[in-house]
Amino acid sequence: MALAPPEPRVDARPVEDHRSVIAMLHETWFGSELPPETQDRLASLASIIAFEAAEELLREGAETTRMGIVLDGRLALHQVVPGRGPVTILSVEPGDIFGWSVLTPPYRASSTVLATQPGRAIVFGGAALRTALAADHALAASLYPRVLQAVGRRLAATRLQLLDLFAS
Amino acid sequence: MLSSPIASQWFLGRADLDTLVQALRADGRRVIGPTVADGAIVYDEIGSAAELPSGWTDTQAPGRYRAAETGGDRVFDHTAGPTSWKRFTFPPVLELTVSHGEDFGFEQPAREIPPMAFLGVRACELAALGLQDRVFLGGQFTDEDYRGRRNAALVVAVQCSRANATCFCTSMGTGPEVRAGYDLLLTELAEGFVVEAGSPAGTAILQRLPARRATHAEMGAAVDSVEACRASMGEPLPMAGIHERLLAQLDNPRWAEVAERCLDCGNCTLSCPTCFCTATVERSDLDGRTSTSERLWDSCFDAGFARVAGGDFRSRSRDRYRQWLTHKFGTWMDQFSSLGCVGCGRCVTWCPVGIDVREELMAIAPPLAPTVEPEPVRPAAASPGAYSVARVSAVRLETSDTATLSLTDLDPAFLAGRPGQFAMVALPAFPAVPISISRYRPNGIDLTIRAAGPTTTALVNLKRGAKVGVRGPLGTWWPIEQAYGRHAVVVAGGVGLPPLRGLVDQLLAERERFSSVALFYGARTPADQVFADELKALAARDDIQVALTVDRAGPDWKGRVGVVTQLFDQVNCDCGRMTAFVCGPERMMQATVQTLIGRGVAPERIFVSLERHMECGIGLCGHCQMGRFFVCKDGPVFRLTQLGDTFNREGI
Repeated sequence: MALAPPEPRVDARPVEDHRSVIAMLHETWFGSELPPETQDRLASLASIIAFEAAEELLREGAETTRMGIVLDGRLALHQVVPGRGPVTILSVEPGDIFGWSVLTPPYRASSTVLATQPGRAIVFGGAALRTALAADHALAASLYPRVLQAVGRRLAATRLQLLDLFAS
Repeated sequence: MLSSPIASQWFLGRADLDTLVQALRADGRRVIGPTVADGAIVYDEIGSAAELPSGWTDTQAPGRYRAAETGGDRVFDHTAGPTSWKRFTFPPVLELTVSHGEDFGFEQPAREIPPMAFLGVRACELAALGLQDRVFLGGQFTDEDYRGRRNAALVVAVQCSRANATCFCTSMGTGPEVRAGYDLLLTELAEGFVVEAGSPAGTAILQRLPARRATHAEMGAAVDSVEACRASMGEPLPMAGIHERLLAQLDNPRWAEVAERCLDCGNCTLSCPTCFCTATVERSDLDGRTSTSERLWDSCFDAGFARVAGGDFRSRSRDRYRQWLTHKFGTWMDQFSSLGCVGCGRCVTWCPVGIDVREELMAIAPPLAPTVEPEPVRPAAASPGAYSVARVSAVRLETSDTATLSLTDLDPAFLAGRPGQFAMVALPAFPAVPISISRYRPNGIDLTIRAAGPTTTALVNLKRGAKVGVRGPLGTWWPIEQAYGRHAVVVAGGVGLPPLRGLVDQLLAERERFSSVALFYGARTPADQVFADELKALAARDDIQVALTVDRAGPDWKGRVGVVTQLFDQVNCDCGRMTAFVCGPERMMQATVQTLIGRGVAPERIFVSLERHMECGIGLCGHCQMGRFFVCKDGPVFRLTQLGDTFNREGI
């Protein structure tokens, strides 16, 4: 008989707080079309963080510790080119995600995430999120397509950028 | 006997008015006309002309009505009172079906609709009957009870000889003179009535009256009395474009202000001669065997009017007032090809707190600055080679390779040009190039040029005072009117912004015509943004939403990085009401168009500006041909749907 997977730790947050996290999640592009039970489950795993301008949230090449959804403010995804310094590849606007590499091995950030404008984000700890997804297939089945959609949009936009349409 | 009464005017003495009432009654008609009851002049059944309000008049103002006896013997000296004719064509209560307990079924009561005659129908009220005809009889489904009552009613109209302060038929174009839709028409003079027939039924009645031919003096006096009434109403309200004006104001704060005063009583809708909403209620007998379904007049001001099991779509008073006003003066046009108001003023008089629909309308949707229909643009120096010489009055570097030249001493034809058009620009010894006009100034134009070839390189290096040859303005322009009453979105990529800059100027100059205005601009890097200072100033304004993005940036850039289509992720408006103007590299426009259509923007409301090799600029040289079009002459601005599958197709 297989052992039941360990129960993920649930923050003992007051109910009102839990509801307000669901409401915030629902307001975002990423969260708005997730099924209610997924929103509820994610909210129980979430915490709300505030970030200051110039604060580094993830570092390129280092372990991705958390995935987040920007509520307000702006983040920049940087990659460093030796001799050129950091280049901003994309800005992450409210509603969009960062740190999706928390879901795929080797769990390392593909770019540095730096705040360019102060704001807030809903964040999920990497280990807790992976544990929850491994244990709850319904959660995984609803969350993964949305993550793939977010990443796919980014890929499509990056291809357009690659075309360098505005070049002389 | 009268020989040919149609289209001729007759005179009926005052003492003989009752012969008309009796002639109508003799035909078996219920005669309904104005009569004094409960301190007001109402429409009700009358047995003789003696029951008409002889010697009575009324004074009306917002929230105020007084009927008063003034002596004299005139019978039609009042204006529209609390009742309207819809009470008789569209009764307040109508039994629809009866169900008996014994056997399951829905029985429709047989209805006898006796012939009626409406005596004293004013011009505004005839217009109201016409509007209800459209509602009840003009569509796929019809109201047969209404049809029966309408057909049963003979209409004796009366010209108005005076107006109240609440009357505004001249603003709605419905009066004061009666023009059509009557069987008989009366104009009251001191000694009697000038009478005209407007139908064979009217003629038949007229032939039975002791009328004589009206004299020229009487006919003249009849015309004068209506004209005096019209003059007493003053200037009509500026109603032009009210449909678009109003629908662009769904977020106006005045809706909440008027709701502070509005009691939601529904007097306006019940007294309105065109309001047609109803509720169906079920009534059961006490024994529980018979139930009756009744149709009652309803009001969109009723708290439960838009309620469903899950909630109420218009729970607030401001929602309901907005619904009523935008229907009457806006969406009614979409549904019935006419505004829903006839200017009778009943809603003004009978509003207990005196809300004046005219005042609200003009405050919420004020008249637009008059638009002068521009003369067709006739380009200066239209033939190839015929350049007029202009002088560079200013040069402004936009980026490392792009500059804006301000030109002056232009041929005046340029000043009549429109945003989106272009000029052919030449310097001696250089081939001419097409350059879009990036701004119109009172005494000149701006050209924004990127150095890409020999001519453009020479142009960006010109100094103040230099001369250039120009032909134009050429080509099509951005159809700004396609965004009236809608969300206007301008999407620019790279040096696609200059052809849109004049459009942004125009959108802001006519800002009140649009629900919102937004500018989305994508550039390669922060240093490649043209008009950077202007963009900053625009971003600081609150009447335009500005979103900028760049494809790549160094660490100093705090703005957005990404492609221009990603800016639409932040858009939160009704995309079905959006009109988009797009200019940039074709591949960027294609991605933008896909995003716009994906968000629900109608393809026929998307406009793009195309670039092709142009040499002559007037459709003669053949270089810029694209499918069915010469881009220089048929474009550069195209409606997306014009282009069909040639848009963004390789090798076209």
